[in-house]
Amino acid sequence: MKLLVVEDEAGLRDSIRGYFTEAGNICETVSDYPAALQKINLYRYDCIILDITLPNGNGLDILQSLKHNRHPDGVLIVSARNSLDDRLTGLDLGADDYLTKPFHLSELRARVVAIVRRKSFDGNHKVIYNEIEMDLQAMTIAVGDQPVKLTRREYALLLYFIVNKGKVVSKNALVEHIWGDGMDMADNFDFIYSHIKNIRKKLIDAGGRDYIQSTYGMGYKFSDK
Amino acid sequence: MKLLDKYNRISLLITVLVIIITGFIYYFTISYVLTDQVDQDLKVEEQEIFDYVKANHQLPQVFKSESLKIEFKDIGSDTVQRLFVNTQYQDEKEHDLESGRGLISWVAVSGVNYQIKIVESKVETEDLIRLIFIITLGIIVLLIVVLMVINRLVIRNLWQPFYEMLRQIKLFNLTDKHGITTLTTGIDEFQDMNEEISAMSARVKQDYQELKSFVENAAHELMTPIAVMNSKLDTFIQTGNLNEDQGSLISDMYGTMSKLTRLNKVMLLLTKIENKLINDQEPLDLKEAVQTACNEFQEMAANKALSLDTHLSDVTVVMSKMLLDILLNNILSNAIRHNSPGGMVVIQLDSNALTVKNTGGSEALDATTIFQRFQKSPESDGSGLGLTLVNQICENYGLGLSYDYINGFHAFTIYFKAALK
Repeated sequence: MKLLVVEDEAGLRDSIRGYFTEAGNICETVSDYPAALQKINLYRYDCIILDITLPNGNGLDILQSLKHNRHPDGVLIVSARNSLDDRLTGLDLGADDYLTKPFHLSELRARVVAIVRRKSFDGNHKVIYNEIEMDLQAMTIAVGDQPVKLTRREYALLLYFIVNKGKVVSKNALVEHIWGDGMDMADNFDFIYSHIKNIRKKLIDAGGRDYIQSTYGMGYKFSDK
Repeated sequence: MKLLDKYNRISLLITVLVIIITGFIYYFTISYVLTDQVDQDLKVEEQEIFDYVKANHQLPQVFKSESLKIEFKDIGSDTVQRLFVNTQYQDEKEHDLESGRGLISWVAVSGVNYQIKIVESKVETEDLIRLIFIITLGIIVLLIVVLMVINRLVIRNLWQPFYEMLRQIKLFNLTDKHGITTLTTGIDEFQDMNEEISAMSARVKQDYQELKSFVENAAHELMTPIAVMNSKLDTFIQTGNLNEDQGSLISDMYGTMSKLTRLNKVMLLLTKIENKLINDQEPLDLKEAVQTACNEFQEMAANKALSLDTHLSDVTVVMSKMLLDILLNNILSNAIRHNSPGGMVVIQLDSNALTVKNTGGSEALDATTIFQRFQKSPESDGSGLGLTLVNQICENYGLGLSYDYINGFHAFTIYFKAALK
């Protein structure tokens, strides 16, 4: 994946770059409007993470310029303004998704990966992790040849884990992903625990390995190491 | 009492009083003048008698006259005091007594003294006075009528700007867009007052707007640092080699961060709802929305072994989907969170109202404060803004919201027509 992060807040920019930089990924960053405009005119990206409040300009103009030139880059808008108008304007202008600050890096990654997947030419709707194969269109999962039946939430959790494989994902990020951020967290930690227990059991029963590790009591890590 | 009525009453009272006093003065003056007139006539008669006696040395022949009577009486060598008296006048024709004015005098005819009594009827004078009285009364009535009319039409008209201003002040609402308009009146006092009130309302509105935009901006500005902290935490937990204690510290930090975020978001949302910035209204199937929300909370309810009892009928509401979801989520999550294990949640929906009842604390909550900001039970770890949000949303759509404690159930009811409340 080749990504561009357009974000004026250095702390956030560095964190995003750190989270996305790994083998097979290229993550470039710019901090202002002119630099961003220059980058998008020169290079193509799988996904652009675009903050709309920028010094010297509006991120929406960058989006417009992209669409005007018919560049196919995926665009994920991130904004501190959780206003419906901004969201609608962004999506109307052709952004692929909209994420409100603050967000968890794992959530950002899930959104970015979803955009990149949608944009890919081969229309690939299969997510494969070792012996686990998820069909996003049919909403089915198989371990090897063995189909596994997961509930809607278990399915969403597993996909979230696979997208964030090798990363520690906090319980809070999981709760927010499943229930949205309108809820009180503490009540839902128990449910996360039982959902994960179920996923583990179902995968192992179907002959899969146990990839989900609990980390320091505050999160989980999906990893084959 | 209205100013106008009070003024009317005083002015009428004074007018009537003045007219009555003038009437009396009028009466006495005219009756004095008329009596004087009669006295003059009497004197002329007396003089005529004197002249006759002087010329003819005998008493004049007395003729009957309409309104005058002359009597002579032999009084020998006595004399009488000459004086004017108020007396009776015997009308020959009508045989009744009228009030009259008399002059008593004497004359000497060939050495014999005669008393002269000349009496003139005052009936005409009294008629005149009666006429004057009637005219005065007529003037009083006319004046009262005229004053009434003037008060009704002119004064009411004069006060019109005042009432208009009062109407605007009554309608004045800090949160809506309408201010108090400046009126053009021809009256300086009203003009001054109106301009001052208009300026004051504009100032108050502006202050309020600034305060609100400060809250909004502050909440917005906080989002970025929170985002940075959040992302740093996410990055930090990737570094590995943490022990359980550090893990639980980070977990607490995550918890606090999400609380802060939620608080901030709710504050922003409240400002937005108050400013009526969310106006994507559409007809929504309330029954379906309640069912969806119930499904969302199924796990939470099951976790507390709560029984969820729903009686739903088809109801359509016109409001923003986002706000409806927030409304239902808050009410339902409260009903579940503040419930006791093994308790009950009853949801009733009919064409009048949506009621969510739940078991829980054994004492009624204070209905006057629960909808205020940052009011929460000591054991609650919520933001204290949930019910404020619910209240604000209801207010925006003109829905009634009430809390009751009935038979061990805490009941929150949303009335679709506030008027039915």
